[in-house]
Amino acid sequence: MRRFLLKRVASALITLWLLATIVFLIVNVLPGDVGRKILGPFAPKEEVAAFNHRLGTDRPLLAQYFTSIRRVFTLDFGNSFQSGQDVKSIIFSALFRSGKLALLAFVITIPISIAAGIFAARRQDKLADRVVVNVGLASSSIPEFVTAAVLLSIFCVHWKLGKVFANPPPGTSVIGQLEYLLVPAMAMVIAYFGYIARMTRAGVIGALQSDYARTATMKGLSDNQVMRRHILRNALGPTITVISVQIGYLFGGIIGVEKVFNYAGLGSTMLTAVGAKDIPVLQGAVLLVGIVYMLSTLAADLLIAYLNPRVRLETAR
Amino acid sequence: MTITSAPATTAALSVEDLHVTYNVRGIERAVLRGVTFHVAPGEAYGLVGESGCGKSTTAYAALRYLPRNGTISSGRVLVAGDDVTAMKSSQLRSFRANRASMVYQDPGQAMNPSLRIGRQVAECFTLLGQPDKQAHESALEALKKVRIAAPESVLERYPFQLSGGMQQRVVIAMALAKDPKLLVLDEPTTGLDATVEAEVLDLVRMLRQESDAAVLLIAHNLGIIRSMCDRVGVMYAGKIVEEGPSHQVFDSPQHPYTVGLLRSLPRHGVRKTERALATIPGILPLIGTDLPTCVFVDRCPIATELCRTVEPPEVPVGNVPGRFTRCHHSDRIGDIPQEPVNVDIAMLAPVDDNPEVLELSHVSKTFRQRGKAIPALVDVELNLAEGETLGIVGESGSGKSTLAKTMLGIESLDSGGLVSLDGHGLQASTVRRSAEDKRSMQMVFQNPDSALNRAWSVRRILLRSVHKLTGIKGAEANKRVEDLAEHLRLTPRHLDLKPRQLSGGLKQRVAIARAFAGDPRIVVCDEPTSALDVSVQAAILNLLADLQSAQRTSYVFITHDMGVVRYLADRIAVMYLGRIQEIGLTDDIFKGPHHPYTEALLSAVPSVDGEITTRIRLDGEIPSPANPPSGCVFHPRCPRAIAGVCEVTEPPLVEVSFGHAMRCHIPLEELRVLQQGE
Amino acid sequence: MSEPTSHDEVTEPTTLAFAAASEVPEPAGGVDAVIGGQPVSERKQARRENWRLIRRRPSFIIGTLIVTVWGVCALLGDRITPHSPLDYRSTPHLSPRGDFPFGTDATGRDVLSRVMAGARDVLKIAPLAAVLGVLFGVVIGMLMGYIGGWFDLGMSRIVEAFLALPVVLIALLAITTLGSSDWVVIGVVAVLFTPVVARTVRSSVLSERSLDYVTSANLRGEKRSFIMFREILPNVMGPIIVELTVRVGYAVFTVATLSFLGAGPPPPSPDWGAQVSDGYRVLGAGIWWTTFFPAAAIASLVIAVNLIADSVQSVLEAS
Repeated sequence: MRRFLLKRVASALITLWLLATIVFLIVNVLPGDVGRKILGPFAPKEEVAAFNHRLGTDRPLLAQYFTSIRRVFTLDFGNSFQSGQDVKSIIFSALFRSGKLALLAFVITIPISIAAGIFAARRQDKLADRVVVNVGLASSSIPEFVTAAVLLSIFCVHWKLGKVFANPPPGTSVIGQLEYLLVPAMAMVIAYFGYIARMTRAGVIGALQSDYARTATMKGLSDNQVMRRHILRNALGPTITVISVQIGYLFGGIIGVEKVFNYAGLGSTMLTAVGAKDIPVLQGAVLLVGIVYMLSTLAADLLIAYLNPRVRLETAR
Repeated sequence: MTITSAPATTAALSVEDLHVTYNVRGIERAVLRGVTFHVAPGEAYGLVGESGCGKSTTAYAALRYLPRNGTISSGRVLVAGDDVTAMKSSQLRSFRANRASMVYQDPGQAMNPSLRIGRQVAECFTLLGQPDKQAHESALEALKKVRIAAPESVLERYPFQLSGGMQQRVVIAMALAKDPKLLVLDEPTTGLDATVEAEVLDLVRMLRQESDAAVLLIAHNLGIIRSMCDRVGVMYAGKIVEEGPSHQVFDSPQHPYTVGLLRSLPRHGVRKTERALATIPGILPLIGTDLPTCVFVDRCPIATELCRTVEPPEVPVGNVPGRFTRCHHSDRIGDIPQEPVNVDIAMLAPVDDNPEVLELSHVSKTFRQRGKAIPALVDVELNLAEGETLGIVGESGSGKSTLAKTMLGIESLDSGGLVSLDGHGLQASTVRRSAEDKRSMQMVFQNPDSALNRAWSVRRILLRSVHKLTGIKGAEANKRVEDLAEHLRLTPRHLDLKPRQLSGGLKQRVAIARAFAGDPRIVVCDEPTSALDVSVQAAILNLLADLQSAQRTSYVFITHDMGVVRYLADRIAVMYLGRIQEIGLTDDIFKGPHHPYTEALLSAVPSVDGEITTRIRLDGEIPSPANPPSGCVFHPRCPRAIAGVCEVTEPPLVEVSFGHAMRCHIPLEELRVLQQGE
Repeated sequence: MSEPTSHDEVTEPTTLAFAAASEVPEPAGGVDAVIGGQPVSERKQARRENWRLIRRRPSFIIGTLIVTVWGVCALLGDRITPHSPLDYRSTPHLSPRGDFPFGTDATGRDVLSRVMAGARDVLKIAPLAAVLGVLFGVVIGMLMGYIGGWFDLGMSRIVEAFLALPVVLIALLAITTLGSSDWVVIGVVAVLFTPVVARTVRSSVLSERSLDYVTSANLRGEKRSFIMFREILPNVMGPIIVELTVRVGYAVFTVATLSFLGAGPPPPSPDWGAQVSDGYRVLGAGIWWTTFFPAAAIASLVIAVNLIADSVQSVLEAS
């Protein structure tokens, strides 16, 4: 198990390095004057030169690359172009707020979608199954911002059940914050429900068709016992992976949700940075999301290894 | 062990006019068309037949476990008098928990991969109402009962940590936990190595004496059924066409299908130089095909108009109770013609003075995995004469497939070895071999589904090979493809089909045609018939012999089937853990004295003829090539090993008589005495 | 390759096999077209059969209908819209009524006309991006799967790194540094889809490569490129077609999201995402139609494409 862990961490670090390289390449893909791009065509030459010097963008590309890689591993993303503030402090507090929203969304999504997936699998090809499958397909295909806008108009504007602006004032209690966060979280629940439910369903159906499920049934176990003792443990591996991947991918969708609800999370911070061409903030945020993805998939792999003796024992050998 | 047809009331299992359909794309298709048989308590009943005949469906229907699209449309299944088809789900559960068990093909898949063996076995006992602690102890007892080595440690392991033979023992232990009234075995040894299969079958035989369970055994291997079962039912297209005591059915079959099945097996030591094998023309009807009268009529050599209009009844045979054939013309069984010999025997016979085409000297192959060396072939020396067939036999891990790949350059051999063709050394890797060398050696693979490009038509497959191997193009190439097809008895219409539209036997013919596209000197056949039914196998073997006699092609024929290799091979090499243990003329290998491993392989074959061969049994598992034992690699399993010698030094491969070599410390004469004395 | 979790099957559930594995014990060769003595089948029967099965699925019919409607709107644009999509002359924020069934927006433009005309942007950009992404992905995936070794190992790592980020996020970063235009959006989305497609193709190629027909091709001395593109490629077309339909759905999704976030095609073109972005701020004032109709348009198109993808997938993976 320890060897498995070491291997897995090493592989995550390599991926992180490649990720940082990709991000560096995107930012530097067009040779040219960063200062000029940021300050615009009318800024005086000296100002542009000074700007470039301050950012270090006048240094050789290779030197910039090493700096950028070092920064990923030290979590130091430099300073914002716009405010000059430490990028780390900007994005970490934003990440914390987005994290709250995401956590709420997942706490709701995971039990509902796993239950729906198992329910559908046990009624394979019956009406209930088709409903889950098609609702899942539809809900996961709609962009989050669309769902968010519709929920906003129905729940917050029409029925006045939630807040149009999701930022709770400072000092709001945890329960009080729910009133602000529930509707935006629902938009994300709808987006992720389909993925996780369909994945669970596929895993359970696969396991139900397995030879060991047959053995268990022939032993004289009831359907519920077969499901609990034999199916779930083997079927949930892919589901766990999907959930971990979604935790990383959620930051793609959360931007739209935050924009609709004016929520000051990582997404809004990034949109502000896009508007101001504040590349360090944007770069830092992207890398941070990458790190979150690495950590969540790492956790998922460990959980799967714990559940699946084959993974645990064979890689350790 | 009674040999009677038990009346329904006292039978342990009674299947009565069972009809089962599968729903395929919205259409109900008949799979079982009225199956009736009875198994008495303590009796072993076998169902045989080729793939698709419905034997496994019958087994599963007996325990009411059908796939989601399967339905029992009529008929009953009684187990000790209770109708399984009418049980409510709670009754069915209790029935499965207390009275009936099943052992499956592919035991590795039959166990939950993420639970320890102990928990899975103990679960059977908790279902019988035992508390956890007692169930655990019972699980240990159950493993001891199936003679598993180190049962305490097996309880703590996971299924994937056990070998196939051990996995099947565990599954059997679970099946016997409840002391069942009915034990169903569905191809329990298919996929296991011969020596392991023999052990598992011995175990089942032994356990039967300790239990009064009725046994329903499903197998496609006729020898297994004969050696295990009191009575047998022969199935064809969802019906039992013949039934009776197994020795009677196999010794004097009374249904044309049974006759065809038995004749298509290479038996009684018959060789290709003596006669061709019989085949059954045509193919098995698809499930759901409309078959109003005799199900076998389209393939039957003695069918008459009567067979097409009136369904044959159960015709009693002799005065044996429960012995019948479902044939109008059982009195004319003797008229079924023998297949004419179409092989030019003269061309096949001589071996000695033919020129040598292939020679392997010091061929070794070492794989590397995670930095560890795994010797798959160790110092193999072989030669092959023109027109000769060299059989290579061995179990898994013996290196026989690696040997084939190494000859062909699919795997490159370790440095120091050499493969030479007509006296010139070949490049280790195919890519570097000359076009002429590539043309000279071709291969026929085990599984034609994998070997034929399914996106290509048969014509394109053959045309491409003709073009690449001979350089011929255009109309001339087309002509050659048509000639090839004709040789392989493929019709011109077959040429325009895709492989998936052909039956297994036809696909293998296409694969053989492709190998012969450039008139090869040598064709390596890697288990070319092991995925096929016996009647199709016979046709393929005949074809190979025919092609050989016409073209003087040499074959390297890899197989695990001793009957097939005896029929086709002129010489045989027996491999174990990457080494040739014994090599010699087919007669030398079969008549002995043989290497103890060869002896064990031969003893492991269950005979359709009911002969009892000298029986020695091997203990333990086949070691992994990654950790070969010291000294003679066979010593840990060898019942004749000499203590103090065999585990210390590896015996060299030495010639013991003309053209017969083996790797054994025991002198030939001593082996002869040992092997005759038993 | 013994990575602990195979991400291969799981990152995006729409690419999973939902079709129940065939559980019919069939005689070797399958039910419909096995022949022994007499051929009973035509050459292209398999393909026709698949197409027939796909066409019969209700989800395919509904999906195609919706896509066709939007396709017509995109092709004909302002030739069939009741008003000009760019015409400012009406009263702002009229609620839906007779001559403006979807109401008007903040500058008095007809929402219906803008929604109809808005199909053009997304239907121009998304399929093109998907096709390009699949094209690159197929080439890279074929090479990864067939050549294997260090090339595969290295590329797999890079693919993994790309997959660590949501497409929208990295596209946002790229478009910010490159500036926004149709071609930049197409290029960025295509490049970001490439790794996902490559991974799918790679795993299909890997399982093909282990089949004996490839060995046989080597034994008769075929070139690598022949084996890859003539032998293997036709056999992995199924997964590639599935991937293409799924990618078109994702492309619509991504392009809409990007334009909502302000990184799509520049204004004043009547893009759906941009319309939602303009409209949602006035939702609080009860003006729902400027948001709802373009949002519904996005949803209908994405769902329709996914319905098609799903039917194609169920049929191709079952066969």
